Amino acid sequence: MSAKPEIADFNDLFLSDEYKELLERKKAFEAPCTAAEVEEASAYSKSEAYKEKNFARNSLVVNPAKACQPLGSVMAALGFEKTLPFLHGSQGCTAYFRSHLSRHFKEPVPAVSSSMTEDGAVFGGMRNLIEGLENSVALYKPEMVAVSTTCMAEVIGDDLNAFIETARQEGAVGKDVPIPYANTPSFVGSHITGYDAMLKSILSYLYERSEDVAASSKADFAKLNLILGFEPYTGNFAELKRILSIFGSGYTFLGDQSGNFDSPAAGEYSYYYGGTKLSDVPKAASALGTISLQKYAVKKTLEYIQSGWSQQVVSMPTPIGIRATDRLLAAISEITGLDVPKELTEERGRIVDALTDSHNYLHGKRVALAGDPDLLLGLIGFCLETGMEPVHIVCTNGDKEFQQEAEGLLSSSPYGEEGQVHIGRDLWHMRSLLISDPVDLAIGSSHLKYAAKDANIPLVRLGFPIFDRHHMHRYPIIGYQGTLNVLSLIVNTVLQQLDDQAPEYGFDLVR
Amino acid sequence: MEATSKVPVHDTDCLNLEPKSKACPRPKPGEAAGGCAFDGAQITLLPIADAAHLVHGPAACIGNSWESRGSLSSGPRLSEYGFGTALGERDIIFGAEKKLKASIDYIAVRFAPPAIFVYATCVTALIGEDLDAVCGEASTRLGLPVIPVTSPGFLGSKNLGNRLAGEALMQYVIGRSEPDDAVRGTSVNLLGEYNIAGEMWEIERLMNRAGISVSSRITGDGRFREIGWAHRAKVNMVVCSRALLGLAKRMEHTYRIPYFEGSFYGAKETSYSLRQMAYLLNDRDTEFKVDRLIEREEARVAEALKPYRKLFKGKRAILYTGGVKSWSVISALNELGIRVVGVGTNKSTAEDVSRIVDRIGEDAEYIPEGGAKRILKAVKERKADLMIAGGRNMYVAMKERIPFIDINQERHTAYAGYDGLLRLAEQIRYTLQHPVWELAERPAPWEEAGKTHDR
Repeated sequence: MSAKPEIADFNDLFLSDEYKELLERKKAFEAPCTAAEVEEASAYSKSEAYKEKNFARNSLVVNPAKACQPLGSVMAALGFEKTLPFLHGSQGCTAYFRSHLSRHFKEPVPAVSSSMTEDGAVFGGMRNLIEGLENSVALYKPEMVAVSTTCMAEVIGDDLNAFIETARQEGAVGKDVPIPYANTPSFVGSHITGYDAMLKSILSYLYERSEDVAASSKADFAKLNLILGFEPYTGNFAELKRILSIFGSGYTFLGDQSGNFDSPAAGEYSYYYGGTKLSDVPKAASALGTISLQKYAVKKTLEYIQSGWSQQVVSMPTPIGIRATDRLLAAISEITGLDVPKELTEERGRIVDALTDSHNYLHGKRVALAGDPDLLLGLIGFCLETGMEPVHIVCTNGDKEFQQEAEGLLSSSPYGEEGQVHIGRDLWHMRSLLISDPVDLAIGSSHLKYAAKDANIPLVRLGFPIFDRHHMHRYPIIGYQGTLNVLSLIVNTVLQQLDDQAPEYGFDLVR
Repeated sequence: MEATSKVPVHDTDCLNLEPKSKACPRPKPGEAAGGCAFDGAQITLLPIADAAHLVHGPAACIGNSWESRGSLSSGPRLSEYGFGTALGERDIIFGAEKKLKASIDYIAVRFAPPAIFVYATCVTALIGEDLDAVCGEASTRLGLPVIPVTSPGFLGSKNLGNRLAGEALMQYVIGRSEPDDAVRGTSVNLLGEYNIAGEMWEIERLMNRAGISVSSRITGDGRFREIGWAHRAKVNMVVCSRALLGLAKRMEHTYRIPYFEGSFYGAKETSYSLRQMAYLLNDRDTEFKVDRLIEREEARVAEALKPYRKLFKGKRAILYTGGVKSWSVISALNELGIRVVGVGTNKSTAEDVSRIVDRIGEDAEYIPEGGAKRILKAVKERKADLMIAGGRNMYVAMKERIPFIDINQERHTAYAGYDGLLRLAEQIRYTLQHPVWELAERPAPWEEAGKTHDR
């Protein structure tokens, strides 16, 4: 089509004179501050004095970097084959979770709600839960329904166990449909504790209801269980599977949401893609052992596996970097009794080579980090390995144990000397930190872009959620390959910045 | 066919003046649900850009929502800050009114907003926090409007939340300030226009060209002060949403401001809305100016649309936008020559549905419920070329290789007004003609018929 009308771009349109004039008129009744006053307030908000006031703030949170428990439990549920995440409580929470996950993965997210209203608040949510189970099973035909709660059901104290039992007695849902459940109020924990609670519930439920555990075949005994946890990177699943197939080890993922969050455009939408087979869970109890690539996100699950399944459990924070990946491979090797294949050793050599290629540009770079505990530990390790200096580390959902481990890691290297770990703090605290003690780079989720912009530093997007960049989650950040991806993300951001800030004579072709 | 070329009947109470809890269509337990009343209240109030918006509840009610709305501001950005009291377990047991008070005080001192909106959530409503008392006390003590918004999520749908937010504006804001002289005269309030992708600016520009000024933006790119003087406007326009109709009715009753309902999606609707403003302003000069503007713009748009109409001939669309936008978008699509063959009505009121019927007749399929699968089935059965829906359904359409237009609040294209219609046409053209569909529709070359090897 040739006769294309002149259509201004969103960014340009409202900068045209007609609009400028229109919007200028409005200033008359905006909060009547002079430019000088605005300047003054802005300067104050960037001062050391303000930072102190900001850190003394204890009632209010501003720009929190965490989501809530049931969001995590939705992700856990989607790690299992044909499983419908069902949220018992008021409807809006479910809409938020679906949007949140959709915006990150750019995929549809099936999840339903029991849609409680104020009647539920008065009489309890039993009827909603029963009706909801009946409708959703009929409509979405799941093999399993994973029920978790939102605040409302928790505050009024709904008894999930009794309600689900009643639903079965009334025939609303068949006896053959497993319905594990978890209590996941938002006012406790965060998305990672919700993930943990749901995963543990699914594993224990499926294990305990199965009668033929003993019937596991010989092959099941030689397998390895793997847990990736609250994992926003579908690429990490693929990477770990690749590593295991190079080892030649049999394996079972306890929770694999990569199918649901990275499904093909094949012409027909199915509600469910991939996921751990329900029948594999009881068999996994007889496996050689379990390796978890997150620690803080699956605490209770790991306790359960250790005691309930009497299994060897090795857990580590997100393995980013050479040493962390070494530990992962050593763990696989130790539990399976298989030697680390030569192919992986060669790969290691190539990635070490890549790190040496870039080390000049990373050395001494001061960075700020925000994110979930396991990711942060992985990133701190990577920074120390590459000569970058983690300075501000903000973990809204981190606990004391995490703080200790992070501080221990920092003190293991001279590059960690300046590192300060702030748990329970939000991104408005981070803004103060970035401004009063400037760094070169920020690393974190999309939410960090506002603080980074205020501080005039580039943001490397790693973690969850990433709403404003595409496909980041499809590339692994774990293992040697993942380390290479993280390296190239960071070093190329640094190089771009060099170009952007270079004077005429410094705009070099070769870097 | 299991459903329904019949027009579904919904609860009609949604149009009542006084919001009642059971007013709007409710989601069925066990289905994928839309936003809640809390979300709805935020949709209506967050565009007030210079106010602080404090969520009294667990961290996630803001954690899930801060800085993710598409309402644009031309100036202050305070409304983008995610303020919350982040309640923990202890707060649930012992109450959190002290924490709320401390948070209000902190915001008042550190951020100096013209007003603070305090939102109840499921949790604070259930544990019986007295929002009115805390806000009232803080207002008096701080000399600053601190406005309770009692719209906890469990009360119902987004739509209900919109209306409860309107109630809060009526009760605490409107009538509390006086306009500068500049905005008296032929001034109109816009109710329920949230400046998604700058649509409010587009509308305001058109109105200004016709000599009509906007008195109060309720609430797209709005400022707290201007909403206070909404009672001085000559006319209220309720913009393509039933949600703030209650507010318009209240204002008619209390301040004798006539109102009308209109939309700016499509040239026809835009012209109708401008004419209606001029008519209610009862000003000869304005009517004359509006007529001339409409004549000029309609001719321009008609000319510019010719190639598109040719291109869109015979194209069929399915709309799944939630209730309020559906009928107005249909008009726009009709003007582009696209036939709407299916409409999702799960969030529509009876009144919305009857407007949809007015525009496309009973021939189209009405999809009252059933989630993604049901819509996709309709797309197939009706041989639709295009799906128009919000963000949560976008990726479902992609899986089925259905060209898609996002009409929700995350979008970055303004579809309102005459230029907006052109932009919509251009977006649809892009979507329909995009080369990616050729890739998506065909199987891999080795899977195409006749190419398999026998060996």
